[in-house]
Amino acid sequence: MIWALAYLPALTGLAIWGIGGSRAQIGTLGAIAAATTLALAIAAGGETGHIAWSGLIVLQAALPPLAQAVAITVPAVLLAITVFAAAHEETGGLPRLIGIMLVFTGGMELVVIAADLVTLLIGWEIVGACSWALIGHRWRSQAPGLSANFAFVLTRAGDLGLFLAVMATFAATGSVGYDALGSLDGGALVLAAFGVLLAAVSKAGQVPFAPWLFRAMDGPTSVSALLHSATMVAAGAYILARLQPQLASAPGFTVAAMTVGLGTAILGGVVALRQTHAKKLLAGSTSAQMGLMIATTGAGYPGIAVLHLIVHAATKAALFCAAGIGHRVTGSFDLREMGLARTFPVAAALTAIAALSLAAVPPLSGGWSKEAMLKAIEHAGVFWAACAILAGGLSAAYATYFAVAAFGPGAAHDAQTRRGEIAGLALLSGATLALSALWNPAVHDAVAAWFGAALPGTSRLGLIASLTAVALGILAGVQVARSGQEAPAREWLGLPALYEHGAIRPFHALAQAAAQLDDGVIDLIPRGTAALAETVSRTLSRADDDTIDGLEPGRMQAPWHGAIGGLVAATSAIAVLGAGLGERLSDLIPGGSGRLSGMAGADLRQLQTGLAHHYYTILMAGFGLAVALLVLGG
Amino acid sequence: MLTLAILIPLLAAAVLAVAPLGATTARWTATGAAALSLLALVVVWIGGGEGFRAVSEVPWVPELGIAWRVGVDGMSLALALMSALLFVVATAWPIELQQARAYYAWMAFLAGVSIGLFVTLDLIVFYVFFDLSLVGMYFLIGRWGHGEAQHAALKFFVYTLAGSLLILIGIIVLALNMPELTFDMRALIDTPPLAAAGVVPGLVFLAFVIGFGIKTPIFPFHTWLPPAHVDAPGPASALLAGVLLKMGAYGLIRIPLQMMPETFARWALPLAIVGVISILWGAIVAFAQENLKRRIAYTSVNHMGYTVLGIAVAGSALGSEAARQLALTGAVVEMIAHGLITGALFLIAGAVWQRSQDYHLPNFGGLAGPAPRLTGAATLAAFASLGLPGLAGFVAELHIFLGAFGVYPWIAAIGLLGILITAALFLRLLRQMFFGDLPKERAGFTDLTRIEVALLAALLALVVLIGLWPAWLLSLIDARALIAVPGGGG
Repeated sequence: MIWALAYLPALTGLAIWGIGGSRAQIGTLGAIAAATTLALAIAAGGETGHIAWSGLIVLQAALPPLAQAVAITVPAVLLAITVFAAAHEETGGLPRLIGIMLVFTGGMELVVIAADLVTLLIGWEIVGACSWALIGHRWRSQAPGLSANFAFVLTRAGDLGLFLAVMATFAATGSVGYDALGSLDGGALVLAAFGVLLAAVSKAGQVPFAPWLFRAMDGPTSVSALLHSATMVAAGAYILARLQPQLASAPGFTVAAMTVGLGTAILGGVVALRQTHAKKLLAGSTSAQMGLMIATTGAGYPGIAVLHLIVHAATKAALFCAAGIGHRVTGSFDLREMGLARTFPVAAALTAIAALSLAAVPPLSGGWSKEAMLKAIEHAGVFWAACAILAGGLSAAYATYFAVAAFGPGAAHDAQTRRGEIAGLALLSGATLALSALWNPAVHDAVAAWFGAALPGTSRLGLIASLTAVALGILAGVQVARSGQEAPAREWLGLPALYEHGAIRPFHALAQAAAQLDDGVIDLIPRGTAALAETVSRTLSRADDDTIDGLEPGRMQAPWHGAIGGLVAATSAIAVLGAGLGERLSDLIPGGSGRLSGMAGADLRQLQTGLAHHYYTILMAGFGLAVALLVLGG
Repeated sequence: MLTLAILIPLLAAAVLAVAPLGATTARWTATGAAALSLLALVVVWIGGGEGFRAVSEVPWVPELGIAWRVGVDGMSLALALMSALLFVVATAWPIELQQARAYYAWMAFLAGVSIGLFVTLDLIVFYVFFDLSLVGMYFLIGRWGHGEAQHAALKFFVYTLAGSLLILIGIIVLALNMPELTFDMRALIDTPPLAAAGVVPGLVFLAFVIGFGIKTPIFPFHTWLPPAHVDAPGPASALLAGVLLKMGAYGLIRIPLQMMPETFARWALPLAIVGVISILWGAIVAFAQENLKRRIAYTSVNHMGYTVLGIAVAGSALGSEAARQLALTGAVVEMIAHGLITGALFLIAGAVWQRSQDYHLPNFGGLAGPAPRLTGAATLAAFASLGLPGLAGFVAELHIFLGAFGVYPWIAAIGLLGILITAALFLRLLRQMFFGDLPKERAGFTDLTRIEVALLAALLALVVLIGLWPAWLLSLIDARALIAVPGGGG
C-alpha cells in the first residue's frame, strides 16, 4: 500500500489529463484524488515496501513518523491548491495543469517514502520533470519555456550530487539503502553527505541555485503555490532532515549546511524585500525560509526543521493564492498596483493570518516554529544565532510588506470574488491557524515525542532579541510598503547574469567550437585514411603477391600452416563477396536470386559514380594488413 | 527456430524482389515477416534456459571449422528481440515512397541479416551478416534518402566496411590460435585464445576496437553517422541507430570481452577513457546542432559512449564482481533502451520530415498546438533519452555509473556531466520544436495519424515498462554469465 502513495496520485493525474472535463468536474476529481492520497498517507504509517530490480538493486520504501508527517502535508496542501486552481486558472489546459500537479505530488510522495537512494533519485527527478512541465505550462509564450529549461537544468546540476552519493554509497557498501548510508565513513561518507547536500540546496533554491526559483515564477500561480510549499523546494529541506542522522557525522557537513542555509536566509530576505513583484517577493522568501530549515537541520534538529516545513507549507501556499487573487484583479503582480483591503476584505483577513505567521508573530504557528528553529540554531553558537535573528527580522519585514502592499488600503476595484479561490485560501490560512496549537506545550511535546525529535531548550536573551527583531522587521515592512520603491535593477543580486555570462554563453561557444572541430578536423580521419590507403595499397599489393606466394603449402611445416592457404582462399572468397555485391547477393539469398541481383546491380549502377575503386582499394589494403598479421601471428 | 527467424524475412525479401506486388501489400508482407521473426524469438524467450539456448548447427565447411550455428544467450536474445520489434515498427511506419516494393524488399533483407547477426554463433557467419547489413542500409539510405543521400550512403558504407575488414582480420587470427581451427563462438569463449601477453593480442584487440568502434560509433570514428542519419529516410534512421549501431557494441562484448578477457583487461582503462570522451563529445557537439536529425544523431554518440564505458568497466578485472556485473548489465540495457528510444525519436523526425521537408530547428516552434500527440511522444522520448528516472535510459545509465564508480571513480564522475548536457540539449530541442509561436509556414502541420501513434506507443510503452520494472529484462540479460572468469570458462 505504501507505493500507492506515489502511483495513485500519478495515475489519477494522468487520467484527469487524458479525460478532461468541465472546471467543476476537474476540480472535484483532483480534490478527490488529493483527499484519497491524504487518507492513504494517514493509513500507511510505519509501513515498508520492497521492489527488487535485481539481486543488487532493491527499491525500498518506509514511512517513519517524520516522513509520515510530510507525506500527510503534501496531499493536504495539494487539496487546498486544487480547489483554488479549479476556480482561478485559465480554462485552457486546466486538465493538464491539475493532472500534472497530481503527478508532481506522486513524485514528491515517492521522495518522502524512499528508504534507499535509488528510489529517492527516481522521485527526485520525477519531481524535477513535473516542475519543468508546470513552469512551462503556458507554452505558447516564449518565456515560460525558457524558464522551465533553465530551472530543470540548474536543478539537475544539483541532482548530479545525488548521483554521486548513490555511486559512492554503492561502491563502499554494495547497497543503496539509507541504512548503508549510515554505515559509511571516510571519503565515501564525505562524498555522500556533500552530494546529498548539493542536491538538496539546488532543489531548495539556496544560494547559488536560488535564481531558478525566480524563473519558476513564469508558471501559473497554483504551480508556484505548490512548488514553494509542499513539493520541489520542500524536497530539498526534507531530505536533509530525513538523512541528517546518517550524514551529520561527515566532517564539515554541519558548517556547510549552516553556512548555506543562513547565508541564503539573509540574502533571500534582502532580495525579497527589494521586490515589487508579488510572486518574486514570495520566491525570495521561500529561499530564505528553506535556508532556515537547512540550518536547523545542520544544527542537529531535523525534527524542528520538518515542523517548520509543515507550518511554512500552509503559510506560503496561502500567500501565493493571495498573490494570485491580486493578479487576477489588477492584471499584474506589481505590489504597487494592489491594495485590495476594500475590494476583498475576507481575502485580506485570511492573507493577514498567513503573513503574520510568516512574520513569526506569536501566537501564530509560524511564530512557534521559527522560535524553535532559532533555539536550535542557538545551540550551534552565538554567531549562527545572530544570523538567524537577523534573518527572522527580515522575514517579518517582507511578510509585512507583502500583506500591507497587496491587501492593505487602496482604491476599491470592481471585481468579483470566486468562491473556490477564497475556499482554497481559507483552507490554507485555517491550517496555519490550527497549527498554532503547537504553542501549547502538551501539543508540541506530543508531536516531538511522535517524531522522536528533541526540542531545544530556551534562552531568554535569544527570545527577547528575536522578538525585538520581529517587531523592528514589521515596522520596516510597513515603511517599505508605504514608500513605494522601484523595481530592483538586478535580480537575485546579479546571480542570473553570472550564470548567463559565466556558464550558459561560454557553453554555447564551446559547443559551437566543438561542432566545427568535429566537422572540420575529426572527419579528416576517414578522408585522410582513404587517401593514405590508396597510396599504401600500391606498395602493399606487391608485397601482398609475394606473401601469398610465400604460403605455398609445400613449404609449410606445421599442420595448421596448411590451413593458412585455405583460409586465405576462404577470406579472399569472402572478400570477393564483399566487393562484388551482386554476386554476393545471388550466392546468399535463396530463390529469385537472378532477379534480386539484377535489382541490386541496377541499384548499384544508380548509386555508383565512379567511387567504387575507393573501396576496392581499401579492401586490398586491408588484405595486405591481414596477411601481414597472419604471418606475424603465425 | 532461430534459423526461421532469419530465413522468414530473407524469404520475404526474395518474394518482394520477384513478385509484382503493390506498395501496400509489400509493406504488410515485409512487416508480417518481421513480426513472424519476432514471434519466433518470443517463442525462444518463453522457452527459457541458461547460457546458450535454442542452439542448432549445420556443418558448412568442416575443414575450416565454419558452420551454420545459431543460438542465443540472454544478451543476444534481448538484442534480437529489440531489433525484431524495431523492424516491425519501422517497416510498418507509413512513408511516401518511389519504388516501394524494392524498399520493402531491402527492409526485409536487412531484418533477416540483422537478426541473423545477433543469433549466429559462428564468427564467419557473423562477419558475413555484419557486412550484409551494410549493404542493406547502403541501399536504403542511397536510394530512398534525401539531400546528399548517395554521398552519405557511400561514406557510411566505405567507412564501416573498412572497420569490418579489421574485424575479419581479428577473427581469423583468433581462430588460428585455437588448438583446433574453429569459428564456433562457444569454443572461443570457453577457451579464450591468445591468452599470453605480447604484441599480437594487443594488435588484434586494437583491430576489434577500431572495427567495432567505427560501427558503434565511438569517438573519433563517429563522423560517418550524422550525414548518414540526416539524409536517410526516417525508418532507416531508426534502424541505423536502433539496430546497426548495436552490432558494434554487441561485437565488443561478444568478441574482445568474452574471447580475449586478459588482453581486454590490460586495455580497459584506455577504452573507458574513449567511452567517456564519446559521452561528453557527443553531448557537447549535439548541443550545437541546429538540424533535428543531426542533434539526435550526436546523442547516439553520447549514449553509445555510456555503453562503451560500461563494457570497458566490465572487462577491467578491477573492482568488485558486483560492480562489473552492474556495468555490463547497464551496457546491454543501454543498447536496448537506446534502440527503443532513439528509434522512436528518429521515427518522430521522419514524421516531421514527411510533413514539412525540413529539419532546421529554428524554422519550427509551437507545434504543440496543431500536433499534441506528436509533442507528447517526442517529450516522452526526449525525457527517456536524457535519462529521466522511471524510463528505460535511467535504468541503463544508473547501472553503468554504479558499476563504473566502483572501478574508475574519476571517469564515472566526469561522465556524469553527460547527463546534464543531454538534459540541456533535449529540453532545447523540445522548446525549439513544440513551444512558443507557431511559424506561418507550419500552419497546416498535421498531428500523428492513428497508426503512427500506435507504432510509437509500442516502443514507448516498453521504455516506460523497463524504466519502472526492469527486473524481467535484467534477469534475461544475466550479466554474470557474460563475464568470463579467466581460466574458469564462461
